[in-house]
Amino acid sequence: MERETESLKEFLTDLVVPHHRCNVNIIPDHITMLHGTKIKKQHTRKRRAHKSASLTRREYAKLGLNALPTRQMRYEQALPLHKLWRGYIREHLDLKEGEQVPQLHEKRYDEFSRQLVKMDLHGAKLRVHQSKCPTLVGLNGICVMDTKNVLKLLGEDHRVRTVPKSECVFSLHVDSMEFIIFGQHLNMRPAERSVKKIKSYVEPFM
Amino acid sequence: MGNNKGNRKSLTQRHVCSRMNFLYQASTLMAHSNNNTLAAYYGKLCRNVGTKALVKISPALKRTLCNRCSLPLLPGVNTTLKVEEQQQQISMEVEKPTSTASKRRHRRLRGKRNKFHKDASKVDRAEAASTINIDEQTNLYLECSLCGAKRRFHVDTHNECWVERTEAIVQVLQTSNQANIDDNKGENEMVQE
Repeated sequence: MERETESLKEFLTDLVVPHHRCNVNIIPDHITMLHGTKIKKQHTRKRRAHKSASLTRREYAKLGLNALPTRQMRYEQALPLHKLWRGYIREHLDLKEGEQVPQLHEKRYDEFSRQLVKMDLHGAKLRVHQSKCPTLVGLNGICVMDTKNVLKLLGEDHRVRTVPKSECVFSLHVDSMEFIIFGQHLNMRPAERSVKKIKSYVEPFM
Repeated sequence: MGNNKGNRKSLTQRHVCSRMNFLYQASTLMAHSNNNTLAAYYGKLCRNVGTKALVKISPALKRTLCNRCSLPLLPGVNTTLKVEEQQQQISMEVEKPTSTASKRRHRRLRGKRNKFHKDASKVDRAEAASTINIDEQTNLYLECSLCGAKRRFHVDTHNECWVERTEAIVQVLQTSNQANIDDNKGENEMVQE
């Protein structure tokens, strides 16, 4: 600040005719300097006051929450999750001990199949039954993450593998029942799937 | 039985409730086994399912999730319950004059009984730690180990939120009549206004 007014004073005295220069008297209070940066600073302060509580996507990624390390998790760690899931699925599908899949002519078939699509897959033991990609066939593991296009399966060799949903057909066991799921119909976010309205008839694609 | 509308509502939302319950339990399970990524992911998903289906988590459960990254905050596992800094400073200031006075006294007595002085100073320090007196204006907080956000709690609980009062509960629905009650740790109570 001091230096800037100094240079300004010099500039002003240079403008005056040389023999009057000694009479020049500039009061520093009368000088108002305009600062471009000051306005910007105020902006940032305001933004910080209205900082939202939730994380932005960038912050979320910076904390490493999007990436799941491939080799860090043990298969044994996921077993309690699978146990929890078994309890959940029994509650979700309203199953009793030793029950069979309802037949097409039964009354509760519609309701049952509707709930089957809406179920949560985290913790389920899945097996790739059929796939366009031959190397994926036969993979099995516990599903630990479920995104829009991809399932992450934790195999028994302690590796997390990423399997695309749309190209695969999955099979899963609940007690004595076996279900075959066409991955294409799972192709949405897990949170949206629980409220999605489902058509009563869908075409298989393979 | 007479309230037909209420019955229908409970039927449609039952699956969402059980799903949220499962996700909450999964996230606490992952937090116990020290897997932060998955714990935060399940916690967030539990929240998202609730927002999509317009089902509310009961406030006592909601407070256990971090409000920034949805990591379950379990004091003793993830985090520790701490007293807010400002209160601590005030209490320390109160404590200081007495401690200096005692020091002076000890300095005088040092030549005679050196052993006793050490013991006394230890006791002094313990006193200073324990005298962070928790009164009604103290704030407690939990700091998230992952994102560093704080969740504050007031000790003074004269004002409680509406959902926690007894007259807010219209109807309590039993979600599970089956055998798997044992793993229903975090039951989502449906509260209808």
